[in-house]
Amino acid sequence: MDELEQAKQTFVSEAQDLLRDMESGLMQIEAEPDDAENINAVFRAAHTIKGSAGLFGLAHIVSFTHVVETVLERIRSGKLPPSGDLIALLLECRDHIESLIELLTRGIETPDADTEQRAEALRTQLLGFLDGEGGAETAKAHAPASVLEHDVAESQVPDGQYLVRSRYWHISLRFGEGVLRNGMEPLSFIRYLKKLGEIVHISTLYDAMPPAASMDPESCYLGFEIVFDSAATKPDIERVFEFVEDDCQIRIIPPHSEVTRFRELIEALPEADLKVGEILLKSGALTEQELEAALHNQVVAENQADVPQLPVKRLGEILVEQGVVHAETVRSALDKQDKVQANKLKESKSIRIDADRLDDLINLMGELVIGSAAATLMARKHDLIDVLEAVSSISRLIEDIHDRSLRLRMVQIADTFNRFRRVVRDISREIGKDIDLIIDGGETELDKSVVEKIGDPLTHLVRNAIDHGIENAETRALLGKPANGQIRLNAYHESGSIIIEVSDDGGGIDADKVLAKALANGLVAPTQTLTEKEIFQLIFEPGLSTAEKVSNLSGRGVGMDVVKRNVIALRGTVEVTSELGAGTTVTIRLPLTLSIIDGFLVMVGDSSYVLPLDSVVECVEFTEESRHGHEGNYVAWHEHVLSFVDLRELFKEKGPKAARQTIVVVQGGGQKIGLVVDQFLGEFQTVIKPLNKLFEKLHCVSGSTILGSGEVALILDVLAMTRLVETRVEAE
Amino acid sequence: MAKTILVVDDSASIRQVVSIALKGAGYEVITANDGQDALKKLDGHKIHLIVTDVNMPVMDGIAFVREAKKLPDYKFTPFIMLTTESQPEKKAEGKEAGAKAWIVKPFQPPQLLDAVSRLISP
Amino acid sequence: MAEHCEKIVGEFSIYTAAALKPKLLEALAAASALSLDLSGVTEIDSAGIQLLLLLKRETLKSGSELRLTGSNPVVDEALALCNLTGLFNPES
Repeated sequence: MDELEQAKQTFVSEAQDLLRDMESGLMQIEAEPDDAENINAVFRAAHTIKGSAGLFGLAHIVSFTHVVETVLERIRSGKLPPSGDLIALLLECRDHIESLIELLTRGIETPDADTEQRAEALRTQLLGFLDGEGGAETAKAHAPASVLEHDVAESQVPDGQYLVRSRYWHISLRFGEGVLRNGMEPLSFIRYLKKLGEIVHISTLYDAMPPAASMDPESCYLGFEIVFDSAATKPDIERVFEFVEDDCQIRIIPPHSEVTRFRELIEALPEADLKVGEILLKSGALTEQELEAALHNQVVAENQADVPQLPVKRLGEILVEQGVVHAETVRSALDKQDKVQANKLKESKSIRIDADRLDDLINLMGELVIGSAAATLMARKHDLIDVLEAVSSISRLIEDIHDRSLRLRMVQIADTFNRFRRVVRDISREIGKDIDLIIDGGETELDKSVVEKIGDPLTHLVRNAIDHGIENAETRALLGKPANGQIRLNAYHESGSIIIEVSDDGGGIDADKVLAKALANGLVAPTQTLTEKEIFQLIFEPGLSTAEKVSNLSGRGVGMDVVKRNVIALRGTVEVTSELGAGTTVTIRLPLTLSIIDGFLVMVGDSSYVLPLDSVVECVEFTEESRHGHEGNYVAWHEHVLSFVDLRELFKEKGPKAARQTIVVVQGGGQKIGLVVDQFLGEFQTVIKPLNKLFEKLHCVSGSTILGSGEVALILDVLAMTRLVETRVEAE
Repeated sequence: MAKTILVVDDSASIRQVVSIALKGAGYEVITANDGQDALKKLDGHKIHLIVTDVNMPVMDGIAFVREAKKLPDYKFTPFIMLTTESQPEKKAEGKEAGAKAWIVKPFQPPQLLDAVSRLISP
Repeated sequence: MAEHCEKIVGEFSIYTAAALKPKLLEALAAASALSLDLSGVTEIDSAGIQLLLLLKRETLKSGSELRLTGSNPVVDEALALCNLTGLFNPES
């Protein structure tokens, strides 16, 4: 891949990031229209995209983004109020830019007619907003505007004027004293001038240089009179000197100008008239006769007042005026900048790392964790106390590093949640419902690989809530509910999992209707009796939708079954609770990370098993005598009755049974159960390996890991075990 | 000896393309992500020209110009600001700080080379 | 008074002009002729050219002499650009 192609890829991912910022920023404007730094960030996003696109010659992105930028600048400067309609339009524009970037990823740099048409429509709408306050002109021109305008009056030669014969341009330069200190180098400008034509003659003047004692060697005292042969236009030549136009006297006289122009020049220049005259004569700018005319004012310019002043000077004045006008603005802008500095520091403290590299690192960490665990096991086995001490301090460090390296992959769920502000906003506008989105627990972290895959299921759930959950305004009014519907996204950690809830305060799910439909579809047999919870779970079955009217939103055939499939693929579970008339909550439970857990190692017979450490509540002694109840599946525990599972039975373990067994109390899904094991070995860092095909069908197992000894240990799925117990209890 | 240009922009893609263009024209190029980063790179070795974005996080271009102008080794170094026509006041502000040359974003590499060659020769 | 020789090495520019000015003026005042070896100059800009012009003007005032020695393409190009080659090398 060549360098430029690489740079283009950088551009694409940069633009995608910026567009994400832009989206959340735009939504933020709506919520907090006075957050100047936020508005500036949105502006900067558009600005950067435009700038980068320009470098790649992506004119269509530049011209479109330009109008967006202009509108944002108006908002930024407080000239345009960010109304809901305007934000909606800007969001659409953002989407359009996103689609242009998307095309780019497929190698399409020239958009098709449809895309162009869409751009044009959006642009027209944007200009509509600008028209209101007279900003449209700025937005129309998107090429860098020539700073120096062509002086029209100049090309019109008044009748009877005396025109010089020379076919050359005459350029007179007097550099200001400060130019060198500003890094502006007169010689470089003159070298550059040669690109536009040929320097026929040049005279260097240094009359302005003071006596040696007071001459400041860092000041510039140079002047040049240049006879220039070029087909360039006056603006072209003027542009050569635009960077020094403020500090310099620049006079450009086109070929065949009136003699009066030269007379003005001679009069204006600081050097003695005769000296200037001589230079002009010697350089061939003027003939002797012409010089005579110029020097002796023989040609009377009747309309002297109208003789245009050199445009360069005029511009300088304008700039000075601008400087005065903006002095206040400048100062307040600076104050503001100081304040936001602190915020921005945070912004810059992240670096972009290739995900693969991170995965490599984490894989290595995994190996290291196993290695360290092996050392600990060995030391323990051989009772090497001093080695054990050394090893345990190393493993503490490794644990630390491990924690931190895992945290590198952890991202806050806030970004994912915030995307839904847009979804909720757009859809609720579309279908005419007023819905507030409440986000809680945005700071909850989860593995990036999980976050990437959770977007789709969440989108579906949120759309479902908007579409089928929240009632329309009339119904809500009748029911005495607040006019605005409410959707809540919530996330928190619980026993090694992340819980994500999508709830609404809508109509809830009618269990009877679900059941009726399930019966009609043959999902359940008429003889079956189902609990309410079981009925609700039915909505995750393929081909069951409870909405009476299929809308274009979530009724596209993609149902809750897909949500469930996606969640299961992430080793998660999904449940729904609902109260008719009050609302619905869908709860997704996902592992924090797909690659590692803190384990609790137990032995049953000769086999090792790993329990997620944070599901372990307590270890208590188990004796046959403590068994209670039907089939003896209960023990007394802290004045409670605890159901338990004997792992030896569950996994048909045949190894020797310990004389004193232990019950490990674990909790999952809000339920506590006991697991009977022979021995517990304590905490153990566990790198999850994907389940071997052999174990795939095993219930209650979520993965496997390799112990330091090389032995494979199964990782137990505590949640599945609690379920197992639950069904057993129900069966009883 | 090739002349050295410092390019300061928070956009990685702009830094990349600008570097490619300038190197192609025979200049040595150093890049920085923002004003503060750029100041760190002004460590005494000769830099003939600085191209800087205006709107950057951490330290914007104008603050950077002001700081750089205080350093004896760089007080006469020419600056090209990458400005935007929608913020004309920034250009004036930059000029006041001592950055007299500018290019309006978006620009194409030839425009940049054009501005560069008006200020320094390769 | 004999001819005085000075050699400028490195940059002959805005960055060095302030230091070079008194040094060169002194050298010029100390002798009836100043021979300036520019072969070691790596860069010359307007500030350098200006200093040469200042020295030249001083010699014209005092009747002393300034000679630029040591061929250097960088210096030659700059002088030619300003059409000053003749001023500093009357014989050429």
